[in-house]
Amino acid sequence: MSFVFIPIAFLWHPNWLGFLGVQPYWPLFWLLPWSMINGSINGLLFGLFLGLILDSLTLDNNFSQIPGLILCGFLFGRIKLQSDILVGHFRYGLICSFGSFLCGTLYLLQILFRNFSESNSLMFISGVKNILAEVFLTGFFAPFICSQLLRMFKFSRKKF
Amino acid sequence: MLGTRRISTSRWWHKKKNWLFFAIFLFLVFVRISKGAFYKDFYYFISKPFWPGQFQKEIIIKSIDQESLIKLNLLKKDNIRLREILSLQQSSDNDSILAAVISRKTGGWWRQIILNKGSKDGVEIGSTVTGPGGLLGRVNNTSLFTSSVTLLTSPESKLGVWVDRSQINGLLVGSGDNYPNLILYSKDADIKVGDFVSSSPASSLLPPNIPIGIIQSIDETLQSKKTAKISLLAKPQVIDWVQILKVNI
Repeated sequence: MSFVFIPIAFLWHPNWLGFLGVQPYWPLFWLLPWSMINGSINGLLFGLFLGLILDSLTLDNNFSQIPGLILCGFLFGRIKLQSDILVGHFRYGLICSFGSFLCGTLYLLQILFRNFSESNSLMFISGVKNILAEVFLTGFFAPFICSQLLRMFKFSRKKF
Repeated sequence: MLGTRRISTSRWWHKKKNWLFFAIFLFLVFVRISKGAFYKDFYYFISKPFWPGQFQKEIIIKSIDQESLIKLNLLKKDNIRLREILSLQQSSDNDSILAAVISRKTGGWWRQIILNKGSKDGVEIGSTVTGPGGLLGRVNNTSLFTSSVTLLTSPESKLGVWVDRSQINGLLVGSGDNYPNLILYSKDADIKVGDFVSSSPASSLLPPNIPIGIIQSIDETLQSKKTAKISLLAKPQVIDWVQILKVNI
């Protein structure tokens, strides 16, 4: 059910939450706890689903978020749950930062590959700025959001 | 003799009056160093009730508005007459739809806005979107109730533009930051920082003469072409209401 809210958060994009005009990478906050509980294959599959939905919301027909999200879903599924709450909190931040870096780099590579020309360096600079801002914000918010979602997923799993 | 101590009241620092003078002196030194800033600020507050009032300001603004309106109408008539003589495209300001921005992605990878008017309201793919200041982008996608606009800053955006002073056509390409690139396929193109850029009269995608931006910096390092960074007049990150111009160019 919470899956439905990711595209809404992605579109929400409030200016006050941004850093250098960039927002946190919302899908990773959901994908990390989901993959940690349900495993790599499930994470990979939902990474694909998320990518498909988010690609349909953005107008860039030539670039896709799917490769990054699939890779993140698969990698996140291989992470074991940590019993120590405090360590867990920090871990979410670091893992999401890494995931955001991975997704951002894959997206930038697509842009650079597509616009391969002399003026490539201009796009590269703004791309690196985007990646760094996104990595910082995603890592900053992940401990708050991921731990809540993880608790929610665990609870709903026990229920069924 | 050993136990006695000289107590004198004749020293200058024992007098209150002297301290007062010293304080005044320090204050004047401060005034001198600050070049009278204190006085100017003080004057600002005491003269405030006597400033030219709001009423006077309104009259002046109204007069300026009327003057601009008359000039604009005259220029509009001239423009239409000259366009008819030269058989150029007509811009159509009458067919526009007012829409609110309901989602905004103006930083990062994706540069788009979503508007609250869709195909139900007659918005078509390719329609031009303008805001206070000038051109924002083009409608790329419509749903029943919404339409998505690719901003000029998006790497996906490529439009023909016109440099007004030197009267040359160029290509405006989004670069993923807030300053799109103007590409002129001639090394000798005459452009300067501060030149005004508008939509090209030769463009088949946009109505002519929509203000776009001002040249901010020029890069002449490339061998076959000249590129320039454009500072956009319309700022999508703060605009809440836009106009969608229907495609009938």
